[in-house]
Amino acid sequence: MSISLSHLTKRYGSNVVVDDVSVEIPEGSLTAVLGPSGSGKSTLLKLISGLETLDQGRVVIEGDDVTNVDPRHRDIGFCFQHYAPFRHMTVSRNIAFGLRVRKQPRDVIAAKVAELLALVKLENKANAYPAQLSGGERQRMALARALAIEPRVLLLDEPFGALDALVRTELRQWVKELHQQIKVTTVLVTHDQGEAMEVADQLLIMHQGRIEQDGHPTDIYERPATEFVQGFLGPTTIFKGSAVRPHALELEGPGAGAIEGAVTSIVELGFEVQVTVLLSDGSMPWVQLSRNEYAALGVGVGSRISIRERD
Amino acid sequence: MSHDVRKWLVRVVVVGYLGALVGLPVGFLFDKALASGLHAFWLEVTKPDALAALRLSAEVAVVAVPVNTVVGIAAAVLLARRKFFGSRALTTLFDVPVAVSPIIIGVALVLAYSRIGWFGAWLTTHGVKILFSPVGIAMATMAVSLPYVLRSVLPVLEEVGRDQEQAARTLGAGGLRIFFQVTLPAIRWGVLYGVTLTIARTLGEFGAVLIVSGNISGRTQTLPIYIFDSWDQNYDFLGAFAGALVLATISIVALVILSTLRSRERKLHVDLA
Amino acid sequence: MGTRVSEDAAPTEAPPADSRWRRPPSRLYSRAGFAGGATFVAGYLSLIVLIPIAALVAHGFSLGVQTGGWGAAFWHWHVHADFRSFWTMITRPAAVSAIRLSLWLSLSVAAINAVMGVAIAWVLVRDRFRAKWAIEALIDLPFALPTIVVGVVLLSLYGMASPVGINLFETWMGLMVALLFVTLPFSVRAVQPVLASLDGEAEAAAKSLGAGGVRTFVSVVLPSLWPAMLGGFGLAFARAVGEFGSISLIAGGVGRTTTASSYIFNLTQGFLWGDAAAVSTALLVLSLAVLVSSNVLARRVARRLAP
Repeated sequence: MSISLSHLTKRYGSNVVVDDVSVEIPEGSLTAVLGPSGSGKSTLLKLISGLETLDQGRVVIEGDDVTNVDPRHRDIGFCFQHYAPFRHMTVSRNIAFGLRVRKQPRDVIAAKVAELLALVKLENKANAYPAQLSGGERQRMALARALAIEPRVLLLDEPFGALDALVRTELRQWVKELHQQIKVTTVLVTHDQGEAMEVADQLLIMHQGRIEQDGHPTDIYERPATEFVQGFLGPTTIFKGSAVRPHALELEGPGAGAIEGAVTSIVELGFEVQVTVLLSDGSMPWVQLSRNEYAALGVGVGSRISIRERD
Repeated sequence: MSHDVRKWLVRVVVVGYLGALVGLPVGFLFDKALASGLHAFWLEVTKPDALAALRLSAEVAVVAVPVNTVVGIAAAVLLARRKFFGSRALTTLFDVPVAVSPIIIGVALVLAYSRIGWFGAWLTTHGVKILFSPVGIAMATMAVSLPYVLRSVLPVLEEVGRDQEQAARTLGAGGLRIFFQVTLPAIRWGVLYGVTLTIARTLGEFGAVLIVSGNISGRTQTLPIYIFDSWDQNYDFLGAFAGALVLATISIVALVILSTLRSRERKLHVDLA
Repeated sequence: MGTRVSEDAAPTEAPPADSRWRRPPSRLYSRAGFAGGATFVAGYLSLIVLIPIAALVAHGFSLGVQTGGWGAAFWHWHVHADFRSFWTMITRPAAVSAIRLSLWLSLSVAAINAVMGVAIAWVLVRDRFRAKWAIEALIDLPFALPTIVVGVVLLSLYGMASPVGINLFETWMGLMVALLFVTLPFSVRAVQPVLASLDGEAEAAAKSLGAGGVRTFVSVVLPSLWPAMLGGFGLAFARAVGEFGSISLIAGGVGRTTTASSYIFNLTQGFLWGDAAAVSTALLVLSLAVLVSSNVLARRVARRLAP
């Protein structure tokens, strides 16, 4: 295991922000810590990095207990939500900072910086200042700066949070590819479940300072351990007294042997169509259909219909 | 009264008020000081007493400005990076010397450190003389120019935040390196702004220094006191005008520097009050 | 040097544990650094501000503190405040008239300033004309000019040899002009940002309801400016009460133009340190009280006006 956390606890006054968290993060994985704001996910990242002091617990990185090691000696790469560029240094100087701290020879630094500039595709911005970069470029510079010291783990705090939608999708894909290329154990924090599902190969769901569930994204999506996880990972609707995914339900014409009801509303969202049905027991589940399924069904508001779970 | 008439009325009143109160008198100073030509002005400025006053003012600034800069930056870092008991009291204490009369500061310093003050006996037996000496002048000057660096740096430091410092730390940098290579460059305009304010105030201080200096011409006269003495005691108006012109020019240069810095860094809006 | 970036690097290779210093995590500025910095700042503040002010107040109340050196000062002090002598010293006729002069001058100066401050700020924010930069430059000048230079400057134009025939030497008008000069920026700089932040919507609303220009100003604009005006008033008052340099020349040496700070200065020239301490203490309390109360008042008004 690359990072192993046991019984991590952090309080601010009487407020427990991280509550007895124990988790193992596999070597070379790209793990997303997912949770709503205030769930303690950013604090967890800061605890791993040592930027926040913990009240209880142990942090072990690659078998090395770093609980009592200053963050400057933990060999971690940390990317801040707003990138924290050194504004008075050029891109090259930013990237070289950690190497200069480590008193590397000048030619080694130059070679390494060139290599990283190529890796993050900022070759032509080497002498630019952070103020002259776009948000995406700043993010890539921050990544290069963190990677320069060859960290044992890479920690990314809301890496795409401050970017606009288009750049965000592009950069997500890029980070995923970068990770496949360099294989450094990476933990990223996000509140966006789509982002987490897309990028990560491991998921940690956090809620109120605790880990609700961890594992592969698909496993968690299909077999949520708690109601919170189910609700947080995607839309749910109540059918036969329990929460299900709206796309796990299907509609058929009346008399198909399933539970019957009447359509109360239809919302068309481009490719997706949401149909709400009033059942005889008074419950109102909604069903997510594709445009084609909806067209094939041929229903309108008020139509009688039968509903059941897909196989 | 129509809208236009009102607008012109306000305009004329404001321009007239500012002109009569500030513009004309200051402009007239230049006229008076340079009335007999640049050469006469130069002779006035290079008189032995004037030169001695200039030198003492410069010496005091050389001591007071760096000390207050270091203290101001240290206090700003403490206040911005740590929450601690008494932080509010600390900011208030910094402001006290400029919130009250400089005369009070002068009297207070005398009553603490002169021969008749609290530590007078001890200081006398140990041969330390503060009243009527450059040491006392420096202390008074340091007191009245105390808060400017803190006031200028603190908002900038808070605006910059701690992310850059934390980033440097995860990259392996130690406290000193973080301070000199990350924090200090990030607040450099704020520091420069505060230093400019401190210099302006240091060179111009009059009341507090007058009380502690004893006003010994050629020995404990700073430039402002030399001007006062020339005008009030020696009726050497030309000398006073020349000295005043030197100080006025310095403050106008300071103003230009300050407004340039303000346009660079939007968090800078401290006044020299 | 093996890198994670190149393909052949061993990704799990950790640096040997002893290559790093083993030290417990600390905050950015370590406990020792913090304590050192705090001690340094506190020590300097004590030396420059706290101890002198304490000495001043102690002398003002004739506190019986022996000053026979460190040992004596700390082991044998018998505190004995003499309020009666304090009262006597601050109620001498000369003291009373000086304090009274300072008070009414400062009040009127702060009031004139508040009004003119709004007018100047209005011109700076709302008006457009070519010479505006000159006004902007003139506003800051009084803060930058050393006070003694202000005195010289004013006397050169409004002194005995006045080229415009206005002689304010040794008059209360002269004092007032000097005080208006040095306090000029307080109100403007307090009101200006507030005025600039008014988006004009409320004014437009008032106008659409039929209110005229003056009425709109009085009932819509002015109320939002009160806190800033109060703040500026307090600052200007405190500055005017303590001002010395700019009025020292124009006041001359006569009793009718002796303000509180000039009075204290005169006392020190006669080595009457007890009296000087008492009047200074009174003045100190007065300025701090005005500053604090105008701050509190401004904050209270601002809270009431907050949307």
